Amino acid sequence: MAEIFKPFTSDDIASTRTLLHESIPLTGTIVSGTYADSNIKNYSHGMFQSVYDFPFLSSSSNHIFDITCGYSSTSVLSSSSNLQNDKKIAIYNQMAQVLAGHDVSGNIRQFDADGNLSDGEKHKNVFFLNFSRLLSKDEIKKGTFSMTVMTGAYDSPEDNGNMAVIADTGADTSFKVNSPAGEYGILKRGETNVGLLYYQAGVAVLTASIMESAVVGSKFAVLGDGVSGSLTGSTIQTCANGFRHHLKNISFNNTTELNSTIYFCRVNHNEYNYSANPTYVNNGKIVVKNNTFDNPVSYITTVGLYSADNELLAVAKLSEPLKKDPTNEMILRVRLDY
Amino acid sequence: MAFLDNSGDIILDAVLTDTGRFRLAKGDGTFKIAKFALGDDEINYGLFEGSHPSGSAFYDLQILRSPVLEAFTNNGSSMKSKLITITRNNLLFLPTIELNESLGENKKHTSDTFVVAANTTAENDIENNVDGFLAGVTPSLRSSFIRIDQGLDTDQISPTIDLDSDLVETQYNVQIDNRLGKIIGINEEVIEPSFIDDDQIATYFFTDSDNGFVNNITTDGTTGQEQVGQVITGPRGTKLHFKIRSTAELQTSDYLFNTLGTSGNAIAGTGGNSYKMIDTFVRVQGIKTGASMDIPVRFIKRSA
Repeated sequence: MAEIFKPFTSDDIASTRTLLHESIPLTGTIVSGTYADSNIKNYSHGMFQSVYDFPFLSSSSNHIFDITCGYSSTSVLSSSSNLQNDKKIAIYNQMAQVLAGHDVSGNIRQFDADGNLSDGEKHKNVFFLNFSRLLSKDEIKKGTFSMTVMTGAYDSPEDNGNMAVIADTGADTSFKVNSPAGEYGILKRGETNVGLLYYQAGVAVLTASIMESAVVGSKFAVLGDGVSGSLTGSTIQTCANGFRHHLKNISFNNTTELNSTIYFCRVNHNEYNYSANPTYVNNGKIVVKNNTFDNPVSYITTVGLYSADNELLAVAKLSEPLKKDPTNEMILRVRLDY
Repeated sequence: MAFLDNSGDIILDAVLTDTGRFRLAKGDGTFKIAKFALGDDEINYGLFEGSHPSGSAFYDLQILRSPVLEAFTNNGSSMKSKLITITRNNLLFLPTIELNESLGENKKHTSDTFVVAANTTAENDIENNVDGFLAGVTPSLRSSFIRIDQGLDTDQISPTIDLDSDLVETQYNVQIDNRLGKIIGINEEVIEPSFIDDDQIATYFFTDSDNGFVNNITTDGTTGQEQVGQVITGPRGTKLHFKIRSTAELQTSDYLFNTLGTSGNAIAGTGGNSYKMIDTFVRVQGIKTGASMDIPVRFIKRSA
């Protein structure tokens, strides 16, 4: 019986899950300096600032992350006389309800410094770094996040020489799962909890006090002394500018979850040795055989995966023709990624 | 201790075809891979040198050096020629399918196509006794039809010998652009396509139980008469015959003619009128043997 299709059995199909990681290094010169802020996009609503890897008017630019900041309405910084007070509170609450969730009474939780929601210190004045999906992919790999913040003045941020290195140290084995936005780790400077990193959401929450304590008598942003002065007396955009100018680098590995189905195309010795290629026969005779005793031979270049009603659903190509004759058999593993 | 040869296990990355993506997006469960086939589209077996003076290692050297193209994602562009499983290794001849033009009613038009008159005006223009015209609106007006024969096209084996049963094609796929035409039987039997893909290519599926379409080829056993009306010179299998009806859109609208076709064409055998026309083809493929053929078809239309 001549056949061109071979059905798969349940033993011929396997599903696998593979995690791919990429290293993402972000240098501070891209964030502030290289493009003279032409890669920084500000919005009339003033709620956040977007950072691109190239001047954003260029079609080849990519959005890499957003910066914004805010504080809780219960923060000591909160005051109706502050610049953009409502927006800063709104940003904090919006991010908190997505990332920290609500308590049993429906109140928005505040960001907890150690992840123990029942008690302990709360981060009430924070900066947010929202990494684009292009960078974080499915999630940030736990334990790989590191950022260095310079703590000098706005115009010469490195002068102080006191770099703050912030990382999710040890998070690959110790992370929290009590967030509605997925898993998160604690960002630390040394042994001090200075923020939270939401891996699947791709958001870093940094307490503003990391700047406050590091900057001694220097201006954090254009307006106001220290970061508290900026948060109260400056716009979100100005605070974002200040943060960018103090950012030396960020690095992390992202994770892409690759789900694959592998189809084992088992080609036995007595299968697929002939071809329906129009050049395979000449006046009805098989051109690769001189007599009936010669083995038939064919050359595989393509594997087609078909539905039950013979529709071609996927195609895989070999890099070079593969000889098939009755003396050999093979398994072609065809992987379809989702 | 030498390394084991692991060349028998090869990992390939597959890409979804447009139809695969289309079915996946529909989310109705029609995306289900059930079987596989192997193809050799890039291979020209004419490069096989079975008598190479340097020996058998050189027979297929040129074939093995053939560059292979990346995958086409258009489902209609890949896997045009497939490998066949026949468990016997002693075959010297393989069955093919061929267009049978031995009788006037099966002949192509002088333009080397089958011409389908897409409206009644064009049908009425067709002169009597001109080959290769199909009436697309009222098929019974013309006795012409398309016939494909299957078997061993060799004079080395007598046609009076039966074709081995495992080489007889019993199932055919016929594909046609669903915007242009529909496949019908020679007695105007209507059959619905098995499916229509994302490119509006309709696939009709026929088996040997569809008597209006697939029949065994009958060979006149009288000495000297074996080749009368035949195109397969050796043992014969089945024949597929059908007509083409033009779609209502072609009959009533010029849009597709203006978009896909040309105008101002003279068609021999129509009284010297000027026509709009669309050239396309109908693809026939044997499901068992994989043999395939593209039949050129031309739809013509003249304004009343």
